[in-house]
Amino acid sequence: MPDGYLPIFVFLPVAILFPVVTLFVAKLVRPSQPTPSKLGAYECGIEPASNSRGRYTVRYYIVAILFVVFDVETVFLYPWAVRYKQLGWFGVAEVAVFLAILIVGYVWAYKKGAFEWV
Amino acid sequence: MIDTALFYVFALMTLGGGILCITRRNAVHAAIWLIASLMGVAGLFLLQRAEFLFAVQIVLYIGGIMVLFLFVIMLINLDTAAAERQYSGQWKLALGAVVLAGGEIAWVMARGLPGLGAAAAVQDGGEGGSDGNVERLADLLFSEYLLPFEIVSILLLAAIVGSVFLARRRTS
Amino acid sequence: MLHPVGTGHYLVLSLALLLVGILGVLTRRNLVIVLMSVELILNAVNINLIAFSKHTGNLAGQVFAIFVITLAVAEAAVGLGLLIALFRNRETTSADEVNLLRW
Repeated sequence: MPDGYLPIFVFLPVAILFPVVTLFVAKLVRPSQPTPSKLGAYECGIEPASNSRGRYTVRYYIVAILFVVFDVETVFLYPWAVRYKQLGWFGVAEVAVFLAILIVGYVWAYKKGAFEWV
Repeated sequence: MIDTALFYVFALMTLGGGILCITRRNAVHAAIWLIASLMGVAGLFLLQRAEFLFAVQIVLYIGGIMVLFLFVIMLINLDTAAAERQYSGQWKLALGAVVLAGGEIAWVMARGLPGLGAAAAVQDGGEGGSDGNVERLADLLFSEYLLPFEIVSILLLAAIVGSVFLARRRTS
Repeated sequence: MLHPVGTGHYLVLSLALLLVGILGVLTRRNLVIVLMSVELILNAVNINLIAFSKHTGNLAGQVFAIFVITLAVAEAAVGLGLLIALFRNRETTSADEVNLLRW
């Protein structure tokens, strides 16, 4: 059924297998003599200050939320962009209403200080 | 033939990822398996010639929603939750519901699906001429489903307001 | 064994994924994973919509699948926001410990 996609589906396992096979073969071939100094941070790197699974602040989440919501907006704008000429000014008006409502949310978030890194 | 094989590969990915997602103890592992499941669903979309939805599934679900989930998992450190009891007391009810519906699946499969088996009735390629999936989707979205499209913006507005209000630190 | 894949196959897969999602929502105590199970349920809905869109040759199913994905975004955003507020106030993400309004 996916006529034009056959090359992609053939290429997919090749793309997945290539790094796996390469890393596996490298593991077989390379010499392994771990010493503590080899495991340390390289050259100008610094020792990690804490566990990377530590807690993040909630500000990252607010930024992520706004990103995802405007990501959705882009998904709706994309079909409009593809049909821009056929839809003409009618399409522009539709999207203007759509954007106007979302910009209300943007302005509200801005007024609430959601973008400030307090 | 090849798409039959691909269907089973993606179906295995979807279901296996889903089952592993709901059984993992560590929330980060559950999220990774959910990503595998969502990728399987994306593959199924591609097999059904829904190219735009395939892209949306990758960009929005895996690139957007799962990032949100991982942020929250990082935000609330769940090391204590992973050590606790994982399943609630409702598993009897849940198992009953699932056995009932599983029996329904078995019954339907044994009976066969009249009219829904074999290849799809309508061939997708012929009707749209040279237009691709996105173009025809746009025609439908900006004519027949105009009002739902506008209402979606209100849904997103509610999502912005609700989530920013809930997540913001009360400073006063 | 390998019949040509038809709409029925997609419907059975969709039902199975729905069951996995329901099992997750009903049994898990960790609220983050409960929300992930809701995502599984919404994906089952999407598979169903796309299968029927293909079956009838009508693209309306795909339009609705986009709306469902948008709904999933809104649900995840607000649900996770609630989770953060809950964690801030109660220091827990367990469904069994949120019983203040229970009778």
